[in-house]
Amino acid sequence: MSARRHLAGLAVVLAALVIVALFLKRSDVYLLTLWAVYLMATMGLNLTAGYAGQMSLGQAAFFGIGAYIAALLLKASWPFLAVLPVAAIVCFVVGIVVGFPALRVQHHYLAFATLGFNVLAYLAMRNEEAITGGTFGISGIPRPTLFGVDLGGHLAYWYWTLGSLVVLGGLLWWLLRSPWGRAFTALRDNPIRAESLGINITAYTLLAFAIGAACAGIAGVYYASLVEFIEPGPFHFSTSLMMLLAVIVGGSGRFYGPALGTAIVILLPEFLRGSSVPWLKFMQVWYLAFFGIAVIVLMIWLPGGLLSLRERLDRKGGPQ
Amino acid sequence: MKLRTLHLVTAALFALATGAASAQQPILISGLVELSGTGATSGTNFDNGAKLAAKEINAAGGILGRKIEYTSSDTQSNPAIAKALAQKAVDAGAYVVLGPVFSGSILVSMEETRRAQVPNFTGGEAAAITEKGNPFIFRTSMTQAAAMPKVARYIQNNLKAKSVDVMWVNNDFGKGGRDMIVKALGAEGIKVGADIPTEPGQVDFSSAVLKAKQSNSDVLFVYTNEEESARALRELRKQAYAKPIIGETTLTGQKVIELAGDAANGAIAHVGLTADAPLAPVKAFDAAFQKEYKAKSDHNGLKGYTAMYFVKVMTERIGKVDGKALAAAMHGAKMTVKDNPGVLMDVTFDNKGDLDRETFMTKVVDGKQVVTDVLPPLGAK
Repeated sequence: MSARRHLAGLAVVLAALVIVALFLKRSDVYLLTLWAVYLMATMGLNLTAGYAGQMSLGQAAFFGIGAYIAALLLKASWPFLAVLPVAAIVCFVVGIVVGFPALRVQHHYLAFATLGFNVLAYLAMRNEEAITGGTFGISGIPRPTLFGVDLGGHLAYWYWTLGSLVVLGGLLWWLLRSPWGRAFTALRDNPIRAESLGINITAYTLLAFAIGAACAGIAGVYYASLVEFIEPGPFHFSTSLMMLLAVIVGGSGRFYGPALGTAIVILLPEFLRGSSVPWLKFMQVWYLAFFGIAVIVLMIWLPGGLLSLRERLDRKGGPQ
Repeated sequence: MKLRTLHLVTAALFALATGAASAQQPILISGLVELSGTGATSGTNFDNGAKLAAKEINAAGGILGRKIEYTSSDTQSNPAIAKALAQKAVDAGAYVVLGPVFSGSILVSMEETRRAQVPNFTGGEAAAITEKGNPFIFRTSMTQAAAMPKVARYIQNNLKAKSVDVMWVNNDFGKGGRDMIVKALGAEGIKVGADIPTEPGQVDFSSAVLKAKQSNSDVLFVYTNEEESARALRELRKQAYAKPIIGETTLTGQKVIELAGDAANGAIAHVGLTADAPLAPVKAFDAAFQKEYKAKSDHNGLKGYTAMYFVKVMTERIGKVDGKALAAAMHGAKMTVKDNPGVLMDVTFDNKGDLDRETFMTKVVDGKQVVTDVLPPLGAK
């Protein structure tokens, strides 16, 4: 696809997201915003898992760290724009600290190491009651006012989140096209060859992991401010699994994979639940079961994720 | 010209028809309930109770001549989803929102109903819910803050215990109850022995029970969700724990008895409202619920059921379907069984949305929950 067509397509999608929200109900706009928030985290995970090839099951922990930092600082009247870099930097640093020993192991071993970290972070959020409010969580987290614009309303917050998502996406796009990004991909495809070409494997793996963590931290800030309440539940490792699922379903290692995958994981169940088409009525009860089956079928038929559909169809007829 | 007249007549007829329809329009009541996830037992019972009440009320002519249209949607026991569903209910024009049952979820979703000024009846028991000055939130059961002192007094007077071990589930429900019982025991001068936290969804209670056995206190207080309570009781029986086991609300619930089998025998619990209460309206409810769902209701079923009747009674009292007026009338409201059997027990609401009524001490005997004592309402002493 040429760059111009790519940009035009992106502009159409973004314009649609801006306009459609005007006609949606509050609850639907909220779900769209939730999609954008999770997308920030899954785009980061896509960098770690899809591009750099490191299976991480700790993304929800970074998501949670960002959310708790946001909750505490926003309640202490910090400006939103100051909270963002704090959350990103803390998650980046924690990512390096966790990643350094963890990345000495690879693939599924790394998955278990990061899973352990996620469990640990979850326990800390739940048991360090003095800081995190324990199981009661932290409520009354304010939504920001920026440049005199109150972002408390559902539409205002959606546009703000969408705008931020585009900026974050642009940064990642740039990163992936920089020599760093090419190094990440080289690393995933063949670490030995990459090393022979002079790429410092440890440093680049660590970097991909930490940048992915920072994205999750940023997502956490938007999450806390969106829901206006946090407790440890949403940062359980099952959320990490859900995020990884979103990356894989969409097509890991493809830039727009997480956008599609996250839409399927977050929006599809709610869409099925809300369907009022007569022959879809049974979905109001069966939506979770249908969702589970759909994911299984998809993984069997399209292991490369939804965005590999075209290649799959092109290949049809030939041997797999 | 003729055609035009026909059009006019059609339009007029149509207007008449829709006008008539709007007078008969059902009253929309939205249930946000935990139908999947960790809260599935509580949420399903709450939902079934509400559905049963709606069916009965509709069969008897509805509220002010209008039928109830009750829809329930699943929060998946997830606060972020509960918030979305609360918005959806408000968007759909719900007159009243029932649920969620989990305290974490209601703390989030009630901000939405408050903003839209829609009365919200919750099954949540955490103290924090009614302490935020929200004029649209109402409980369907007593709080932990009201229940635990009664439990502590019972341990002091009836069990004559000097020390108590506390086993609790580490979620908002369990932690809230644990903090309250420790405070209440302290007020009675009873020592807390082992403080034993357990995980939500925990399967193996062997080490938790071992801790209780080793601490050698006079009584064990168990405060976990339904399924975990059953597992704890089974393990206590297996390890031959011989001291009295006492709980609050969940421990002698129907679901726990079903799951724990014989191991539930002998367990004692304070219960706000139980399907085994020795009262005629509750017995009628129990029979209707069993007929409808082929299962016995736990306390959450009674919460959902009474919530629907609170709405009916108070709406008829104010004489109009108006959410704001309903919320205002609920504060300080008193409903009696004599006039409204559907509320099951005499009940009063205070200006925070907390309710007060009689409570029960129950014991499991031969696989059945038996009421041993009726304790007066707090306001009556």
